[in-house]
Amino acid sequence: MILVKDLSIERSNKKIFENINLAVGSGKIILLKGKNGSGKTTLLKAMLNLIEPSAGAIYWKGKLLKKNLYNFFNNVTYIADKTSSLGKLSVQENINIWKRIFLSNISDSQIENILSTLKLDTYLFQKVNSLSFGEIKKLEFLRLILENKKIWILDEPLSNLDSESIEVLGQTFEDHRSKEGSIIFSSHQKSEINVSEEILL
Amino acid sequence: MIILNKIISFYYREYKLNLSGFQDILTNIIFFFVSIFIFIFSIGPDKEKISTLSIGIVWTLLLLSSTLSLRKFYQDDFENGSLLIMHLNGFSFGFIAILKTFSHFLFVQVPFLLSIPIACIILNIANDKIIYLVASFAVGSLTLSCLGSISSSMNLMNQRNFLLGSVIVMIFSIPIIIFSVSIINIEESFNSLISILFGILLIVFAINPWASGLCLKLSIENN
Repeated sequence: MILVKDLSIERSNKKIFENINLAVGSGKIILLKGKNGSGKTTLLKAMLNLIEPSAGAIYWKGKLLKKNLYNFFNNVTYIADKTSSLGKLSVQENINIWKRIFLSNISDSQIENILSTLKLDTYLFQKVNSLSFGEIKKLEFLRLILENKKIWILDEPLSNLDSESIEVLGQTFEDHRSKEGSIIFSSHQKSEINVSEEILL
Repeated sequence: MIILNKIISFYYREYKLNLSGFQDILTNIIFFFVSIFIFIFSIGPDKEKISTLSIGIVWTLLLLSSTLSLRKFYQDDFENGSLLIMHLNGFSFGFIAILKTFSHFLFVQVPFLLSIPIACIILNIANDKIIYLVASFAVGSLTLSCLGSISSSMNLMNQRNFLLGSVIVMIFSIPIIIFSVSIINIEESFNSLISILFGILLIVFAINPWASGLCLKLSIENN
């Protein structure tokens, strides 16, 4: 579905990486590995057309990504290293806003189940500001289910998560893979998530 | 239909955010009224002098008060990644700029619009002039929101100097103030002067999505 061909990126005359080739097909989980500053986030951003590559191209369903951008966006959920929940609002209010923005038809009982699995159900009426960073990050993962898209792109999803949450996330990835979904995520730490391919940057 | 639902959801989110940050809006209004009182005390008890200067005072303070809110125009959404999510949800950066401009007008400028009649009573402005002041501010404030969008999006690329954006807004708002004050002082030219204000609004409104959209794109790219 996504094809990255000979991609090179330079920023401020400094080469971040060059000649990266990558194919993200249905039912694949791809892990981008590398040290801090190796260009994992840059590659993910380039795949979302947020950064202009210095060479190479990215294709989506056989067409240049740039020319098929909004069709691609309709199929992708991006979880950045920053969290997008609104700190001043409660967990419940954030979920309601996301449900409206992503036109999600997921039922309240399904959301309750997910929150219970993520151990966030007791914080429903608490302001996001008062949660720990790990809890805010887990709340962010709810977007994966709410948006219900084919491709998941996640930047450092494992950082700040405890082993139990990583296990839940791994299981969620497996479920998505079994539904022919694709996942590409970055990590600089060892993970026990079962991946189809590892790319070292 | 989908795009309309997304726009409604966007404004629902803005409403929720502004409701939770209502104290910011209230602080702006309080700043506006406190500044009016400071002007009155500094001019002295001469009612005629206050009445002559009042329109200029109201417009200057409206401008200063609305620039107070510019810092938050894009900053919070940029920092927490909401701008990126809006973009990935199908809105181009230019379209986000248009939506945010209307949101700023609705949640920051409209409360000022509603407080103008009270300010007019305090400043002893004649009743028949209030309608002209409200009309000129309704057009002028939307222009200020467009300018605010451009300067705030530029500020995202220049995180160190917030004042630069405020200075840009102030410089470009000089023609708006000139024509808005003239509307009230030369009532017989109301139609021609409000047309000029509309003209300025249309020019800035047309530039806003391109300029702000490009700045938003570049700031996300460089972040």
